[in-house]
Amino acid sequence: MRGARRFVALLAGVAVAGSVATGPALLVRAAEPVGLRALPALYEDGKGTGLRTPESVAFDGAKRLAVADTGNGRVVLYDVAGEKITPGAEIRLPEIPSPLQARFAPDGGLLVLDGRLKKIARLTAAGQFKSYLVVQEEGARTPLVPRSFRVGADGAVFILDVAQGRVVVLGPDDRIRRQMAVPKDARGLSDLALDARGVVYALESVGRRVLVARPDDAAFAVFAAIEADVAFPTALSVDEFGRLAVADESGGGIVFLGPDGSFRGRQSSMGWKEGLLRSPSGLAAGPPGLLFVADRGNNRIAVFSVSK
Amino acid sequence: MRALVRLLAVAALAAAAARVSAAPATAPAPPAPAPRPKAAAPARPAAAAPSAANPYHLKAGAQGKVCLNCHSDIGDLLAQPFVHAPVKAGNCVQCHSPHASSHGKLLAAAPGAICATCHAPMAAAAVAKARSVHPPVRAGECIKCHDPHAAKNKGQLRLAGSELCASCHGDMLKRIAALKFKHPPVAASCEACHDPHASDANPHLLKKAVPGICTQCHKVDQPAFAKQHMNYPVGKADCTSCHDPHGSDRAGLLWMTVHPPVANRMCNQCHLDAATPGALTTRKSGAELCRSCHSEMVNTTLGKNRVHWPAVDKVGCLNCHNPHASPQPALLKAKTKDLCASCHTATVDELDRSAVKHPPAEEGQCTACHDPHASNAVFLLTSDKVMDVCGTCHDYAHHSNHPIGEKKIDPRNRNLTLDCISCHRPHGSPYKTFAHFNTDSDLCVQCHQGMGK
Repeated sequence: MRGARRFVALLAGVAVAGSVATGPALLVRAAEPVGLRALPALYEDGKGTGLRTPESVAFDGAKRLAVADTGNGRVVLYDVAGEKITPGAEIRLPEIPSPLQARFAPDGGLLVLDGRLKKIARLTAAGQFKSYLVVQEEGARTPLVPRSFRVGADGAVFILDVAQGRVVVLGPDDRIRRQMAVPKDARGLSDLALDARGVVYALESVGRRVLVARPDDAAFAVFAAIEADVAFPTALSVDEFGRLAVADESGGGIVFLGPDGSFRGRQSSMGWKEGLLRSPSGLAAGPPGLLFVADRGNNRIAVFSVSK
Repeated sequence: MRALVRLLAVAALAAAAARVSAAPATAPAPPAPAPRPKAAAPARPAAAAPSAANPYHLKAGAQGKVCLNCHSDIGDLLAQPFVHAPVKAGNCVQCHSPHASSHGKLLAAAPGAICATCHAPMAAAAVAKARSVHPPVRAGECIKCHDPHAAKNKGQLRLAGSELCASCHGDMLKRIAALKFKHPPVAASCEACHDPHASDANPHLLKKAVPGICTQCHKVDQPAFAKQHMNYPVGKADCTSCHDPHGSDRAGLLWMTVHPPVANRMCNQCHLDAATPGALTTRKSGAELCRSCHSEMVNTTLGKNRVHWPAVDKVGCLNCHNPHASPQPALLKAKTKDLCASCHTATVDELDRSAVKHPPAEEGQCTACHDPHASNAVFLLTSDKVMDVCGTCHDYAHHSNHPIGEKKIDPRNRNLTLDCISCHRPHGSPYKTFAHFNTDSDLCVQCHQGMGK
């Protein structure tokens, strides 16, 4: 039955992928299963200090990679040139004692979500602390609690606010310029992804669904139900083809969905050796054809070549 | 060949018609029409219709008696005050096939299905639509409660009232019997509130939803009711949020664990004042409300590196705790394992499937290793060192001389050191000692790859 569902989903993907993925900035791919090939993983910074329980990874779209090395209380930067990845400096600041997520801003700076403070810090391109992002919202009953965030091409910050079950979009003045409600039955929201067209995806860890909100939508709708394919998904990314990758933290694997939500395969499994994953908790689409996985349980960033 | 078959069929029909016409006028009145006519019946002419009540062509006067020649015990049952209508009519074949059957007791169909042929509300389709269904009904085990022939009790129930329910729910009824304060309808009959078969719209087989079922007796417009509830408009609230509907050792049938503000009738500590419109609205939402009193707990939780995210979502503490009262310690909404499983379904399912289970996990002591609120460690472990968590119960010095610890690099991954979960799955596994692999050799060669050469 599960096989049949996948087969039908695959056929559906073939039928509609062309029309769905013809947005201004997405490349068009046929609806084929996605394959992975493991490349050498990232284990340490430029000084040889090993990573420890890294929660997330981010790519700036050009040549820089940032790892939230949570267990070591720092962010580690890498230079990316094709498949060659060179470890760089660490950013260790008292203002971000337990970084959960680091994302690049369009000006080359970084935004870092801290797990202990539950705040998002703005850093300069040189890695110096600038300020905390303070959401300007009058009459709010509860303070915003960011669970995950992404930065748009124009610098807008998309925040998954679990305190009020919504996604807010902040402008440069930290004022809310848009917010999107999530379905009332959404359970365990954990991550966001943002594609080149401005489509926002949200992930439910408990409900095991991917939600979608297009640029003009005021609320999320269900994009794909993946309860048959994952145990407890916690991370999401979208590549240049509009294909989604979902990290199954409990199941130790990556599930791929097409731009229409069709199932495109499940790759990797639980294990210690390279190519295998233990509690993957963060994803980032890298340069075309690369996927970075914060392989938290293995204290490393797994690097995969993704079939096109 | 076809002509021969037709000829034989006509002959059979003619013989049947002759038998019917030969029946004496004083023959007993035919019982209710049998629901399963024999194969030849549809082909019979209208004149032969009465024989559908006698599909086995029994001799005159034999109907309802021939079975009793052997099954004399059934005859004794007829003296019971409540006899199943087909039995009373002597129509044994309404349920049994006298010659052969694919079902036990020579039943003409599966046990549940045969009851549903007359008792339509119990049919599978009707049951499938119901919100809650009594498991024996769903399983077609009508005879668990009903004697299909006769009984001393109405509805041919095998036992009367709550005594019948106690045959399965004995523990609950024993608990109720020992309680200091009893809910009078419970003492009278479970059926006062529960439908023993199914409830179309309500959970727990309730005849009406809460609070409607409660307000049938407890009039919310009575001054005494209002006073007991501090004048809060609780007429549409969930009564079971505070009260155990079966009984309690606490006055007011409150659940055994009561939130102190509820016990002290200080509802306005969390809710707006009773006279305010929308009085049941809470003063704050999520964890912010609880922080008013539990500031140390909330501050500690929010000050750790990793928080259990439900604690800070829109629902906050109430994801796991009932703010009024609960039968569980710490006002938990359910037993720990059930509560954790409500989100971590796959983890608990995997545990349940494991042949070898880690006892704390099996017993639902999730908090033996995990802090349910927050932690500085991954998986919200009680320590960021796995060996310290395991060391709470296990002494590695008495376990093995295998190198282990923070200075021993895992040969499979240079960023890992060897600890307990290098070899064991902490919840359970299909293999002995909840190992990751089936045999010792499979496990050892994960690291010791040169040993076989």
